[in-house]
Amino acid sequence: MNNKLTYTEPELVSLIAQRDQAAFSYFYDNYATAINGIIGKLVTDVTLREDILQEAFVKIWNNFHQYDTSKGRLFTWVANLARNLTIDTLRSKGYKKQQKISSDENSVISQEDKRQSVEQHDSIGLRKTVNTLKPDQRIIIDLAYFNGYTQDEIAKEMGIPLGTVKTRMRSAILQLRQKMETEN
Amino acid sequence: MEKEEIISSGLLESYVMGLCSHEEAVQVEWWAKAYPEVKEELDAIGSAMEAYAMAEALPVQSDVKSKIFDAFAKESAQVEATPVVTMPIENNSKNTADTTTVVRPILSKWKIMAAASVALLIGSAVFNYVTYNKLQETTAKLTETEQTLLAKNEALAEMDRNVEVVQDKNSVPVSLAGLPAAPTAAAKIFWMKNTGDVYIDASNLPAAPQGMEYQLWGIVDGKPVNAGMITTASGSTFKVEKMKSFGTAKIDAFAVTLETKGGKPQPEGEMYVLGKM
Repeated sequence: MNNKLTYTEPELVSLIAQRDQAAFSYFYDNYATAINGIIGKLVTDVTLREDILQEAFVKIWNNFHQYDTSKGRLFTWVANLARNLTIDTLRSKGYKKQQKISSDENSVISQEDKRQSVEQHDSIGLRKTVNTLKPDQRIIIDLAYFNGYTQDEIAKEMGIPLGTVKTRMRSAILQLRQKMETEN
Repeated sequence: MEKEEIISSGLLESYVMGLCSHEEAVQVEWWAKAYPEVKEELDAIGSAMEAYAMAEALPVQSDVKSKIFDAFAKESAQVEATPVVTMPIENNSKNTADTTTVVRPILSKWKIMAAASVALLIGSAVFNYVTYNKLQETTAKLTETEQTLLAKNEALAEMDRNVEVVQDKNSVPVSLAGLPAAPTAAAKIFWMKNTGDVYIDASNLPAAPQGMEYQLWGIVDGKPVNAGMITTASGSTFKVEKMKSFGTAKIDAFAVTLETKGGKPQPEGEMYVLGKM
């Protein structure tokens, strides 16, 4: 992030809960591109994507009382909210999970193209970390995290046992964590 | 389940990505409270997923941020514009700049609540007014219906009395036929032979001119005896009107004359109908 961190997460959460727009502005500056990236996994149309992004942030602001710090990090809540909003929006427009799967399997390649446009962003290090994941690990994480597939659905779609989905997902995330730790 | 098993079950990853069932989520949250290691694991997975999303960040092309904050500004402007309890609360926020951020949401809440109260009050008043009007309307209709019913009952009771008179075993009918003054006129007397009571159905007499009334006479020993004024309107439905009783007196005939209003001790006007016993 370009901004120096001026709030800790508990401070940020507490201020947003008190309807502090400056804190929410800071929150937007730090997370909008990441949220936009999540929405962008399912929506390539810029106008629709950014409409959903706007709706997501308005929803975060209006429903902030629903966020429970004991249940996890702020970003976790926000990311899931944005993804679910995206899926709901697409479903209301006739989107079917089934139709999306084939293109999702190519999502690793399509992400390569998108990466070119965000080169100025200082998440290059993170991207390098993510790129160390094997494609079959990334597909599983992408299907779950960005497309909202349950582990069961991933197993059925990919024709692999549920246990394999769980192990691959877990090992992929562990790998990310280890890389992140060595880099910090 | 042991905490190591929990951590390696794959459920925690599912939970962080918001993809487990409600029951599973409750279970994970319980574990997180029970085992600090589970809570730590959840946080670590959360951080990893956050980093993963950051790596896939997409720059925002349009000015989404100002649209969001414009919407907030409009929203708060609408709240500010609500002309309720603005002054006293704003005066309280004078202390320091720091308190304004804290005070604002309370202020807005108060305003929203006050506005909501006013809206509720107005809504309630409108509802009451409408309901009251409806009640008035219904009451008026009910009264009208009651009156109609009463009138019908009255008419029915009247009809019953009429029928009783006609059907009474002591009732002797006497037909009064039209005379030259009114050849088509007719009337019917029901004389009760046991009591001497006299009833008349005068509905087939022509309408009496203004200021005039029909008077009934009983002819007793060749002399007319006043039997009272007839009030039945011309052309009305069959109606039996009780006249004066003759008791045990022997009546030879009945006659109706047209007299000035209030009647006469002796008949002076023209005779319209006559009938002999």
